[in-house]
Amino acid sequence: MANKVYTFKIAGPAGLGIKSIGQLFSKILIAHGFNLADYSEYPSLVRGGHNTYQISFSLDKVFAPHYQINAFFAINPGHWQQHQSEFNSKTLIFSDEENPESGRMEKGIFYNLPLKTLANEIGSPLVVNTISLGVAVYLLGFDLNLTKEIVCGFYQKFSDLNSRAIQAGYDYAQTNFPKCKLDLKTKINPKTDQQLYEGNESYGWGFLAGGGNFYAAYPMTPATGALHFLAAKQEAFPNIKVIHAEDEVGVANMGAGAAFAGARAAVGTSGGGFALMNEAVSYCGVAEIGLVYYLVSRPGPATGLPTWTAQGDLMHAIYSGHGEFPKVVMAPGDIDESFEMGYQSLNLAAKLQTPIIVVSDKFLGESSASTNNLSKIKVKIETGDIETKPSQNYARYKFTPNGISPLTIPGTPNGQFLANSYEHDELGFSTEDAQVSQKMFDKRMAKNKLAIKLAPKANLFGNNTAKTLIISWGSTKGPILEALKDLPNKDDFAFLQIKTLWPINPDIKNIINGFSNTVVIENNGTGQLVTLLKSQFDFNPTKIHLRNDGRPFFPEEIIKLLK
Amino acid sequence: MTNNFRSNITPTWCPGCQNYLVYAALQKNFADLKINVDNLIMNYDIGCAGNMADFFKTYGAHTLHGRSIAMAMGEKIVNPNLTVCVIGGDGGIYGEGLNHLVAAARANINIKVFVSNNFLYSLTTGQTSPTTPKGAHTKSTPTGNINEPIHPVELLKTVNQEIFVESVDVKDIPKLNNTIKRALEFSGFALVDITQECVAFGKQLK
Repeated sequence: MANKVYTFKIAGPAGLGIKSIGQLFSKILIAHGFNLADYSEYPSLVRGGHNTYQISFSLDKVFAPHYQINAFFAINPGHWQQHQSEFNSKTLIFSDEENPESGRMEKGIFYNLPLKTLANEIGSPLVVNTISLGVAVYLLGFDLNLTKEIVCGFYQKFSDLNSRAIQAGYDYAQTNFPKCKLDLKTKINPKTDQQLYEGNESYGWGFLAGGGNFYAAYPMTPATGALHFLAAKQEAFPNIKVIHAEDEVGVANMGAGAAFAGARAAVGTSGGGFALMNEAVSYCGVAEIGLVYYLVSRPGPATGLPTWTAQGDLMHAIYSGHGEFPKVVMAPGDIDESFEMGYQSLNLAAKLQTPIIVVSDKFLGESSASTNNLSKIKVKIETGDIETKPSQNYARYKFTPNGISPLTIPGTPNGQFLANSYEHDELGFSTEDAQVSQKMFDKRMAKNKLAIKLAPKANLFGNNTAKTLIISWGSTKGPILEALKDLPNKDDFAFLQIKTLWPINPDIKNIINGFSNTVVIENNGTGQLVTLLKSQFDFNPTKIHLRNDGRPFFPEEIIKLLK
Repeated sequence: MTNNFRSNITPTWCPGCQNYLVYAALQKNFADLKINVDNLIMNYDIGCAGNMADFFKTYGAHTLHGRSIAMAMGEKIVNPNLTVCVIGGDGGIYGEGLNHLVAAARANINIKVFVSNNFLYSLTTGQTSPTTPKGAHTKSTPTGNINEPIHPVELLKTVNQEIFVESVDVKDIPKLNNTIKRALEFSGFALVDITQECVAFGKQLK
């Protein structure tokens, strides 16, 4: 029998530690043996507003956060009100206010939790979040000493204050909410190797594991997490350089310079910044510079919904850069794949000598989940075809059958060449010759074939005799897999997760053609994967389910769509 | 005479173009300072000066218009042992790429920028540039340029007083050589603004 998934959520204004308490609670859950998937929402401001953090946890794997809440904590009065569609008749709602008058609350069981009074007794109005955590820990029947140990490790110099806050919440709940206690099985393991990572962090760990040594970015939500993470890692990894440059154009061209000078380099941004980088993508294409672009999408157009999620940049990535040149576009579906693509993209950039674009989004990049300790994973670093002892007549852009020409790194004797943004000959010098231009174009495009061979293959989940094939890409993987856990007719479905979106592997056509019913699910408004697949082969999906309001799909919603 | 730095390609500049003087002065100084050709990266902007890319045989990048300094910064950050130079014009360095120029000056990063400043966009046949005098009649300002020109030396000195930034007339060959030499020897960001007259379109400015 599968273990139940519970979902706890906390809400309140920005600046009161909603996210930090959510992450702390996640660490406590992990120490008690739980797997989890987190999700947070916040507006584009620094103080005030309405932030939320929710955690779905179970002793089984949790692929995505659930929509329906078991316990909700409003750290300021009223912050529960806009979440009533997430409540059911059994949802426990804790808020610092007298029971609301009838009519205001539609569903759930309301409890008055006097956070402000309790916080004042402890001596700091800022511990309302930690008091709430104390209540949650009581409800779950968790080990109080283990909890306090984790809390103290998290808060360091404020450990005494927060330790008392945990105790106050716990004691208050024990006295006032004994009926709310959930009978939960735990698997306490304080030494567990499971860790909590945001998608941007796991990408960063993959980048480090893959020998990445140059990362440049300009702050842009929701990609900034990777910049912060890698910038802070420069002390522990002294050979990496992390640069916050003047703008995204500078970032992209600096990245090109770094890669040209021999670095394993990546640049990070969201859709708007990537638009500014487009000319450099094209340059790296023609000059055959292997640079990775980590594109963490948010809803556009323009500034759009800066702190929300969308998969609206698939075509933007595939068609990035003017002119025609080879590139790889791939999309991780979860925290582990963010890590994998962190190093795979560097390997591909080195081997294919062309732009590699990793497309994530806010939902994946800024949500946390538990997984193995990524800092301990060793991966294979592939450096591609590097010429260390070039002959006198070395030609950087030598015509080769597979399009890959051996590359010299500046500093190598006799290896001189020009990385030219103009069309060029085998030495890199500009040419306007018709034959050479055609031949050089063909040489570059030949790399697409190799790219198909080297880039990550699609995942097929479930039975290939199933009635219906779900097709998707990127961060929708979690909600789809979580929905398939609970779907009554789950054996009717298989799920194809396309990891490399460009170039499209011909096997994808064969897989899709093996099913008579196909359902495409995408977190965008026009069904960009559908458009893409239609451009590749005769494809007519039975159904297309799109969501484009800045919110991710939740498993409950997908179950409804598939039933 | 053998020359370690020159390619086999004959320059394609107009007869009488003053970029020949810049090209010669750079080669002389690289040789005089015994710069190792294996450790030299030249970054070229787009424009007449940037076309020098095909006439050198060193590690080089003929970058996008305006982006030569950003490219150079990436190279220097990754490998500080390299001598990293930038060749560009007033359009690419002071116009399209001004943000990167200011960033490089702020960082005082040890790259050497040589700007062929002819007060015009010339490869695109003579439009107004950031250094074109106010009132000048060019193809893109037929009724006269309404903008004040940029003064690169004064501008960069307000950004960072620690950097090397000087202007020199390309026709003063001893001074040109000496300024390039001092720029190459300087331990930090250096920009030499090399003023010149375009033989093809310069008469618009008279």
